[in-house]
Amino acid sequence: MRTIIAAPEDSALKETSSVERALSWLVRGKDPRASHAMLIPATLWLLCFLLLPVASLLAMSLATRGPYSSVIWTFTWANFARALDHKYLVIVLRTVGYALSTTGLCLILGFPMAYFLSFYAGKRRETLMILLMIPFWTSCLVAIYSWIIILGRAGLLNNTLLWLGVIKTPLLILNTPFSVILGLVYFYLPFMILPLFSSLEKIPRTYIEASYDLGAGTIETFVKVTLPLALPGVFAGCILTFVPCIGDFLTAEFLGGPKTYLIGNLVQNQFLMAQDWPFGAAVTSVLLLSLISGVYLYQRLESQELERA
Amino acid sequence: MPKQVTRREFLRLAVAGAASPWLLACASGEKERAVNFFNWSKYIGKDTLPGFTKATGIKVNYEEFADEQEMFAKLRSGARGYDLIIGSDYMIPSLKGPNIIDPFPPGVLKNLANIDAKFLNTPYDPDNAYTVPYLWGTTGIGYNKKHMPKPPTSWWDLWDEKYSGKVSMLDNARDCVSTGLLLKGYPETATDENAFKEVRELLVKQKPLVKQYSSTQYMDSLVAGELFMAMAWSGDVLQAARENPQLDYVIPKEGSYMWVDNLCLVRGSQHREDTLRLVDYLLEGPVGAEIANTVRYATPNAEAKKSLDKSLLKDPRVFPPAEITKRLNFHSLLEPDVQQIWTDTWEDVKAAG
Repeated sequence: MRTIIAAPEDSALKETSSVERALSWLVRGKDPRASHAMLIPATLWLLCFLLLPVASLLAMSLATRGPYSSVIWTFTWANFARALDHKYLVIVLRTVGYALSTTGLCLILGFPMAYFLSFYAGKRRETLMILLMIPFWTSCLVAIYSWIIILGRAGLLNNTLLWLGVIKTPLLILNTPFSVILGLVYFYLPFMILPLFSSLEKIPRTYIEASYDLGAGTIETFVKVTLPLALPGVFAGCILTFVPCIGDFLTAEFLGGPKTYLIGNLVQNQFLMAQDWPFGAAVTSVLLLSLISGVYLYQRLESQELERA
Repeated sequence: MPKQVTRREFLRLAVAGAASPWLLACASGEKERAVNFFNWSKYIGKDTLPGFTKATGIKVNYEEFADEQEMFAKLRSGARGYDLIIGSDYMIPSLKGPNIIDPFPPGVLKNLANIDAKFLNTPYDPDNAYTVPYLWGTTGIGYNKKHMPKPPTSWWDLWDEKYSGKVSMLDNARDCVSTGLLLKGYPETATDENAFKEVRELLVKQKPLVKQYSSTQYMDSLVAGELFMAMAWSGDVLQAARENPQLDYVIPKEGSYMWVDNLCLVRGSQHREDTLRLVDYLLEGPVGAEIANTVRYATPNAEAKKSLDKSLLKDPRVFPPAEITKRLNFHSLLEPDVQQIWTDTWEDVKAAG
């Protein structure tokens, strides 16, 4: 068993060393100027589209709002104090709840799909992958409006159920927590399936055969071989689903109602409706910092786990 | 060596080729006759702008907004390229304060005389320098007669638990907080903290009954029967009533607000002359009538009233008779710090658990 798990680690080590070799070639290559030049586009990109916006966001979060939604550059902590006010705690908890439920549901629905794609889809795999990607190619708003048409009081779903005689009066589905979760799962399911699929793909089939040869049954092989080897994909999928869910506002705005007001809506409202940009920036900063530190802590834990193993 | 030169030449040609349409566009940009018009959604006649382009040869780039605050946020954050926008009466100080709009040059608009005198020299624009009235309307309750055999008469009907999950409120501080103040017996100009505390409690109490806070989507929901009642703007409901004749509109007995939407010139516009021609065109009687006939809002244009659909002109929901008008007020002009209390109150309502 131990040897089985150790093997991919070796290949992972090899991978890091090859990455390191590539980096050292870049940074300490024969002509350092050339290698530095190659880093310029990526550096500029990060500087212009990540560091500068984040820096201006942080700067704005420490500024004061003025009349007519202007921003006065007087230093204050007040926006952060307000962002941490207990009245917004409800929204934070609600958002985390929605993100966790979405992630859980995506995992429950996504794992069997990824498993099927990887182990049983065979020739149909390509077609199925394209079908999985199609929602990515349509505009998010178009998809949302389709859901409104399907879920509405006089929508497709209600009319079908009424016609079949399953229900007597139309169900209230739209603008409820249920419709928001449905929308979120719909949008983020591919984010879960793709990393799961790629980590399942990487499992050498010989390991599974070896497990059977050594007398393990289907369930034991799945629990002791497949699942542990797929765990990196599970974690990657969960992060890729959870993090954007925390910031989502469109789904809650269109499919939700007054009771599904999430952090994303709070931020959007500060910038567009309440015109309080410094407070909006403070909420965004808090959100960003908590997500970054969360993911960082997780990676620390993960690498420690790996070392221990 | 020669190979390298050709490659370099090729690159140079490729870059020049890629850039030339852009350069051409830049060069001809100044000569282009166009107006960039940023208007409320569903707020213009079908033939209005094509008619203008046909008559003058000036192109109109038309863009719509669904929310006035979003329009304001866009312009406030420095969006360039808009020449003409629509601003409600109470928005004018916010647009004037940070220099988003310019005054109209006096004497250029020959059709300004068509505007009914009672819409000129208003408190929000005393010298009529910054605004040209476009349409006016009221805020009230839109409802579906099929589900409301007994029509609503009061704002309190929106607080009736019988209709839980079947009502919607407009998603903006101006309409909801002003109604809250009205129902709690405070003047709209109140600044006292208690007044806003009561308004907040009132609106939070209503929250469990509200299906959605929305300023645009509610129309579809009303048509679909998803909503029984909605706090609404007059013309929106009457437009939706074309799709579903069961829809009706009422101004509650406690009173409500009326407002005037105005054409305003955006500062820094590159097409001032063409913009003024468009404004003058929109002021023409038949043009104003076509717009009002389409969007079902009231026109402040006396000349346009002459060619208005008779049914629209006689419709008390569009042009309320005197006994209703006396219950209608214009929104007050608020100081920036009071406006801030309004937006904070509304934010608190939306954030409340």
